[in-house]
Amino acid sequence: MTTHTLSDTGVMLGRSMRHITRSLDTIITVTIMPIGFMLLFVFVFGGAIQAGTDHYVDYLMPGILLIAIASGISYTAFRLFNDLKGGIFERFHSMPIARSSVLWGHVLTSLVSNLVSVAIIVGVGFAIGFRSPAGVAAWLAVVGILVLFTLALTWIAVIAGLSASSPDGATAFSYPIIFLPFVSSAFVPTDTMPGPVRAFAENQPVTSIVNAIRALLARQPVGHDIWIALAWCVGILVAAYAVAMVVYRRKIG
Amino acid sequence: MLLFVYVFGGAISHGASSGSYLGYLLPGILLMTVASGVSYTAFRIFTDMTTGIFGRFRSMPIARSGVLWSHVLTSLVANLVSIAVVFGVAFAMGFRTGAGVAAWFAVAGILILYTLALTWVAVIPGLTAKSISGASGFSYPLIFLPFVSSAFVPTSTMPGPVRWFAENQPVTPIVDTIRHLFAGQPVSNDIWIALGWMVGILLVAFTGAMLVYRRKIS
Repeated sequence: MTTHTLSDTGVMLGRSMRHITRSLDTIITVTIMPIGFMLLFVFVFGGAIQAGTDHYVDYLMPGILLIAIASGISYTAFRLFNDLKGGIFERFHSMPIARSSVLWGHVLTSLVSNLVSVAIIVGVGFAIGFRSPAGVAAWLAVVGILVLFTLALTWIAVIAGLSASSPDGATAFSYPIIFLPFVSSAFVPTDTMPGPVRAFAENQPVTSIVNAIRALLARQPVGHDIWIALAWCVGILVAAYAVAMVVYRRKIG
Repeated sequence: MLLFVYVFGGAISHGASSGSYLGYLLPGILLMTVASGVSYTAFRIFTDMTTGIFGRFRSMPIARSGVLWSHVLTSLVANLVSIAVVFGVAFAMGFRTGAGVAAWFAVAGILILYTLALTWVAVIPGLTAKSISGASGFSYPLIFLPFVSSAFVPTSTMPGPVRWFAENQPVTPIVDTIRHLFAGQPVSNDIWIALGWMVGILLVAFTGAMLVYRRKIS
């Protein structure tokens, strides 16, 4: 049964990936905004921002990666919405395939395309002066956190894609998620913010994730930030997955 | 404004003489308000063009330029209302100025001239666009210009080529002039550069708009 599910998911992943490779503009669109923010904040605002580091691009990079993922997952919701409206789900359900594989195909496609976007942004980061003394283990840990973050947000996107009544509704959910890094430690240290804003910034998921990635890339001790980050990612992932499955069963039941 | 004041403001060094970051930021926010506001003028003109109301107006005994001027003056009024709202929010956030009546009039004059200049720029895409997004899309570069100027951070903190661009584009002298007027400081020759830019853009855009308009309605 597990083998059957895995092979079905592989087929669905292949199908969704073909959609991506035939419209590479989606990856370009996803990367343009974060790269734009990175260039703006590094070359225009960076010299005036006191972030406690000589190279602001090193400070900024983790937040930009999270913004890239947050904007990338909206396409998952959009593609799911299109599949649902196009009636392809019904055709899949009439075939002897694992039902969950349809969703997992979209989720894994999101993961692959977002990792490509992240790689492009890191490449641009290196081109504009980003450097990291991190070893292989630290880089693998960063990739692991980003994979977990992508999966968590993608399952949120699945809910929006399944329950939306218009393409705009399917993608609009991502705006608050894209905005979250702005009110976190992604761009400036939280201790420079006024009381209530600081309280919010220090207790929302992005700050701990950004701090963990930043510490890993700078080869500094990650403290307990990494555990808070993992707890947020896993918590969101489990909750979103559970809700997505309930919505999916209701839709196809 | 809220984002830059309450989230980024504490970490941005903008020069001790400038007082609070809100006071430093406000002139740029006002220009961004105008830049985003003028896109609606282009949208309204485009709508009038496509619905054929221009043709009906031409059959009436009214001055041809009156149709465009009404859109331009509507933009001016609407943008002044938007500016007043932004000022209200800024005051609620703690913005204070020691500027006298003359300085306030000078600021109002600059903002009116800036609005007129950008509105006549907006008239051109409104008349020539083939789609709604095309009519309003021109405003994105105008909204973006204040970001690469002295509106958010001092140009002295920017790297070479960016700094050169920031110091030689229209928004910087306009922002600096308004900032000095609010702070009760001498405006130096910034005001003349600002006026030069605005009058220049206004004349070029007005001429271009009138040429396009005549071509469209002939």
